[in-house]
Amino acid sequence: MRILVVEDDLETADYICSSLGAQGYMPQHAADGKEGYLQAIDSDFDVMVIDRMLPKLDGLSLVKSIRIADVPTPIIILSAVGGLNDRIEGLEAGADDYLVKPFAFSELHARIAALMRRPPMRTEETLMKVADLEVDLVRHSVERAGQPIILQPREYRLLVYLLRNAGKVLTRTMLLEAVWDFHFDPRTNVVETHISRLRNKVDKPFASTLIHTVRGAGYSLHA
Amino acid sequence: MPEWFQSGLDRTSVRLSLQFAFLYAILSAVMFFSAYRMTDYEVRDWITEQMTADAAALERTYDRHGLQLLTERVAVLSEFSFENERIYQLRGPDGVHLAGNIINIDQLGARNYMPVTAVVSDKMPDPEISGYWIQSDRIGPYTLVQGTGDHVIAEVMEALGAALVAGYILVVCGGLIIGKWVGVRTERRIGRIMDTLEDVSRGALARRIPVTAGDRDDLSRVSGAVNAALDQLQTLLESQKQIATDIAHDLRTPLQRLRQRLERMIDTGASDDNLNAALGETENLIETFKALLSIAQIESGIQHEHFAAVDLGSIARDVTEIYQPVAEDEGQSLTALVPEDPVPVCGDPALLGQLISNLIENAIRHCPSGASFQVVLEDGVDGPLLSVSDDGQGIPDQEAEKVFRRFYRIEKSRTSGGHGLGLPLVKAICRLHNAAITLRDNAPGLRVCVAFPRGDHA
Repeated sequence: MRILVVEDDLETADYICSSLGAQGYMPQHAADGKEGYLQAIDSDFDVMVIDRMLPKLDGLSLVKSIRIADVPTPIIILSAVGGLNDRIEGLEAGADDYLVKPFAFSELHARIAALMRRPPMRTEETLMKVADLEVDLVRHSVERAGQPIILQPREYRLLVYLLRNAGKVLTRTMLLEAVWDFHFDPRTNVVETHISRLRNKVDKPFASTLIHTVRGAGYSLHA
Repeated sequence: MPEWFQSGLDRTSVRLSLQFAFLYAILSAVMFFSAYRMTDYEVRDWITEQMTADAAALERTYDRHGLQLLTERVAVLSEFSFENERIYQLRGPDGVHLAGNIINIDQLGARNYMPVTAVVSDKMPDPEISGYWIQSDRIGPYTLVQGTGDHVIAEVMEALGAALVAGYILVVCGGLIIGKWVGVRTERRIGRIMDTLEDVSRGALARRIPVTAGDRDDLSRVSGAVNAALDQLQTLLESQKQIATDIAHDLRTPLQRLRQRLERMIDTGASDDNLNAALGETENLIETFKALLSIAQIESGIQHEHFAAVDLGSIARDVTEIYQPVAEDEGQSLTALVPEDPVPVCGDPALLGQLISNLIENAIRHCPSGASFQVVLEDGVDGPLLSVSDDGQGIPDQEAEKVFRRFYRIEKSRTSGGHGLGLPLVKAICRLHNAAITLRDNAPGLRVCVAFPRGDHA
C-alpha cells in the first residue's frame, strides 16, 4: 500500500508519514509541487495526500496536472483553508476528498482507507450482504436473519453507507458529509443519535453486533 | 510642450486662471465690438437728424420770409465756425451758387459721404477732417446742401475706442486674477482634503476634512462624502479591534488551560486523563477557529457564487427530520410546520441548512427536558418567513441584541458550553441572504424569525 504525501511543512509531513508507517502503509514524501508531480506520474501509488499550499506548484494545479496526465489514483487534499468554496474547488480540480487542517490522524486514516479499497463497480451492486444482514438496493428492503427490518429513509441511507464501506472505519465527519450533507460540526449528538436508532433496529434484536464503535475514531460495520 | 509649462497646466489654479482670462477676452471682445458699432451708428444718426432739422428750419424761413432772408441765414450760418465743422450751400433752380461756403461738390447725392478733397469750399478745413457727411434738401425751387465734418465721429469713436481698450485690458487682467484666486482657493481646499487623507492613512483615524456649515458647493459635498466614508471606516476598524480583543480573550483562556495541562504533564508525567483533556482543549480551540473563519468567509460575501434558486421548504423539512430524534433523546419534541409546495429562495443550500440547524441546536441545548420546539415556514408579508420557536426561558429583552455579538454568552448559559459564535454565524448567513433576523418573545420562550426576501423573481 503505497501512499504519496506531498507536504511542504516537514513536521506535518513527518507526522503523517510516521503515523502511516505505523499503520503498515508505505509512505513516500515530496516536499514541493514539482517533486510531487514527478513522483506522482513516475510510480504507482494507491492514494495521494496533497497539501493545498505548496511551493513551486500549488496543490490544486498539481491535482489538475496529475489528472491531465491520466493518473486515476485517489487523491485527498489537505488544506488550511476550510471554506465551502475551497472544498468544492478542490473536488472540481479532480480530488476525491478534502480534509481541513488541523485534523486528527484517525480522520485522515479513515479517509485514506475509504478511498483505497473503494470497490470499482459499486454502482452495479444491487444486493449487499454482511454476515446475516442483507440490503436490496433495488427494492430498498432490509433483512437480518431472514427478518424484514423497517427503516426510516435517513436510517436506510446511513445503513447503506455503512454497508458500502463495510469493514472500514467511518468517522463522525465522514458520516455527516456523506449521509446528511452537513459540512459543519453540529453541537449536538446528531451522529450518535442516529447510529443508536439504527442499532436499535439492526443490532439490538439480534444475537451479534454488526455496528461497532471505534473508540476515538468513529464507527465500523462488520461481522 | 516644455515640462514646466505642462506641470503648470496641471495645476488647477493656473488652468482656471487661463480659462477665466480666455473666456473674459472673448466675451468682452464681442461686447466691445457691438458697443463700438452702436455708438458709430448713433452718432451718424444724430448728425443726420441735426442736418434734417436745420434744413426744416431754413425751409420755414423761406416759406415765411422768402428767398432774401433764406440767403442771408445760409450766409450767416456759413460764417460761424461750429465745433462740428458745418458747411452750407444754397443753390438756385439752375444749380447757380446763391450763398454759403461750399463752392462745388462732385457727384452730389441726397445723402452721402465725401472725402475732404472732393469738397471745394472757401474755408480752410480743420486738418483733422478727412471727409464730410453731405445732405441735400429741396427748399422750394432751391437746393440746400449741408455738410458735417467727420472729425466729430472720429473723436467720439477715438474716445470710446480708448475707453474700450482700457476696459478690455482691465477685464482680461481681472479674469486672470480672479481665475488665479478661485484656483488658489480651490487648490487650498483640495490640499486640505489631501492632507486629511494623508493623516488618516498614517493612522490618525479621527481626522476629518474641515467643512464650513452652509457651504453647499461640490467640494463641500465631496468633503462631506469623504468624511462619511472615514466615519464608516473608523467604525469598521473599531469593531475589528473589538473582535480582535474578543478573540484574544476567548482564545487565551483555553490556551492557558492547555498550557497548564502540558506543564503539569512535564512535571508529573502524562496521564491518559491529562492527555485527553489537553486534546479536548485543542478540539475546542479548533472549533472556535473554524466558526470564526466561517463567519469571516460568509461576511466577505464570496459565497454568493453558489447562490441558486432553492426550495427552503425541503431544506427546513430535512433539517428538522435530522434533529427530531436528537430532541426526542433529550426528552424534547420538535415539530415542523412546512408547506408541501416549494418555497423558492435564492441562496446557498448548505448555508441555509446550517442556519436552520444552528437555530434548532440552540433550542435543544438551551431548553430543559420536556420543552417543545416548532419550525414554521410560512408566507410572510415580503417573502418567506421562517421561525424556530421554543417554550423555554427565553431571552431577556436587554440581551436580545447582544446575543448576535461574537463570543457573547448570556451569563447563565456560560456554563452550558458553546463558543458563543452560533448566533453571530446565523446572523452572517442571514445578512448574506438579505434576510432579516429578529428575536421575539414566544410567551413563554423564544421565537427566532428570519424574514427572507421573495426569491421567485431571482
